[in-house]
Amino acid sequence: MSSKGAITVNRPREEVQRLWGSSEYRPKYIAAVDAAVRFVDAPGDRGTEIHVDLKRSSLIRKLRRTAQALVGSEPRAKVMDDLRRFKQHVETGVIARSEATPEGERAERKLKQRPAQPVEQSEIEKAGV
Amino acid sequence: MRANVWSGRNTVQVENVPDPKILNDRDAIVKISSTAICGSDLHLYDGYIPTMKRGDIIGHEFMGEIVETGKGVHNLKEGDRVVVPFPISCGDCWSCKHELYSACENSNPNSGIAEKMFGHSTCGIFGYSHITGGYAGGQAEYARVPYADIGPIKVEDDLSDEQVLFLSDIFPTGYFGADLCDIKGGEVIAVFGAGPVGLFAVASAVMLGAERVIAIDQYDYRLQMALNKAGATEVIDFSKDPDIVEQLKEMTGGRGPDAVIDAVGMEAVHGHGALHALDRMKQATRAESDRGHALRDAILACRPGGIVSVIGVYGGLLDKFPSGAFMNKGLQLRAGQAHVQAYLKPLYERIKNGDIDPSFVVTHRLGLDMAPEAFETFKHKQDECVKVVLKP
Repeated sequence: MSSKGAITVNRPREEVQRLWGSSEYRPKYIAAVDAAVRFVDAPGDRGTEIHVDLKRSSLIRKLRRTAQALVGSEPRAKVMDDLRRFKQHVETGVIARSEATPEGERAERKLKQRPAQPVEQSEIEKAGV
Repeated sequence: MRANVWSGRNTVQVENVPDPKILNDRDAIVKISSTAICGSDLHLYDGYIPTMKRGDIIGHEFMGEIVETGKGVHNLKEGDRVVVPFPISCGDCWSCKHELYSACENSNPNSGIAEKMFGHSTCGIFGYSHITGGYAGGQAEYARVPYADIGPIKVEDDLSDEQVLFLSDIFPTGYFGADLCDIKGGEVIAVFGAGPVGLFAVASAVMLGAERVIAIDQYDYRLQMALNKAGATEVIDFSKDPDIVEQLKEMTGGRGPDAVIDAVGMEAVHGHGALHALDRMKQATRAESDRGHALRDAILACRPGGIVSVIGVYGGLLDKFPSGAFMNKGLQLRAGQAHVQAYLKPLYERIKNGDIDPSFVVTHRLGLDMAPEAFETFKHKQDECVKVVLKP
């Protein structure tokens, strides 16, 4: 399993770095595991590439064996969840939510999907909408 | 509300489910006035698309009236009549900005599932398995429409539901298939499949200036519709002669059609002989998910240097792809889920101007509660069924 994750955000690098550092946008998991993050200009008009490397996270190195048991998901999957959430938030202003996964994309949800039908009010509150 | 839900292979049921709620500022809720069954719904019904869950509301061809909007939707208000495109697209990512709406990078909250199957995720789709996000579909009384400021088109003219409903999917899809053929005027275009999408591909190829458009199917009533309503110049009924490739060569003076549209997809039926038997056996044991007869014949039939345009839906892997024919004849293979949002305005104008009346495909109209019967009628092509519209 790769220890690296990458995503491209359709915004200039200065803006992406500024938002990444702000409390409203900062990806929680990537910050918590203190992974190495690089910002690179994407070619042409494509925006900014964000590269995350877990290998260079001391926390992950310590938790590697127990990480899966603790969090229930491969750390890289959670890194990708964070990156997608950041991209959606920056580019569209909203997190993509479906009836199957109203909290948005979560690695833990992949095997425990709701049926694709509307959510009851109580579940909406739980999903943090 | 009442909604048509997937309940296992060959089973849909109309059940009471919660009403949709706004989940995001860019959502809107639509009260559905008309909704249709798509040929691709049959792949769900027949059990060929993985990640379906019991209770999933299906349907991705719908229209109706806006009844609620999120704080971030300013171009639509309550009471507006809209048709909703089947691809759920954000409008902000690089793909959307380049009008590749079905390649939207942001709208699939199950992109991890799609990535494992396809290498990358593409857009979310209403009511089309959890691979495309697990969005509730439109065979229901109401639906939540994400990114409502980007997707839906307002209908402000005196046009019936049946005249505009197919802007949601099948008309732009057929048009996209013809568009991919790069028609400049004077071409011979062959269309595999005379179902609703194939019929719109035929009509679109004619609109775009093809000189001859040959529709291919095994049901005479569909071929008659292709000739009489969609503008096909000739037809091939392969129930009479299964060698489609040879017939197309003969009809084109030995050249082959300039472009071929595959409006059939993964449940192709016309294979014959050993390759067909192999496909059916592999599909039954789930060793192969897609049947490739239409695509193979399209590649073999197309003239060297021509274009094969694929709008029939495929889901997984198919065997025995004619790579030699494809490469040596220098074909272009072009495909996709239609970028509906890019076509809505020009096709709406075509309807308004009277260039085309898409309602010609409708053969059956039923209440939403009749959805299970409607699926059986549509699947088995009973009663000369072409297209079914459901009214909630």
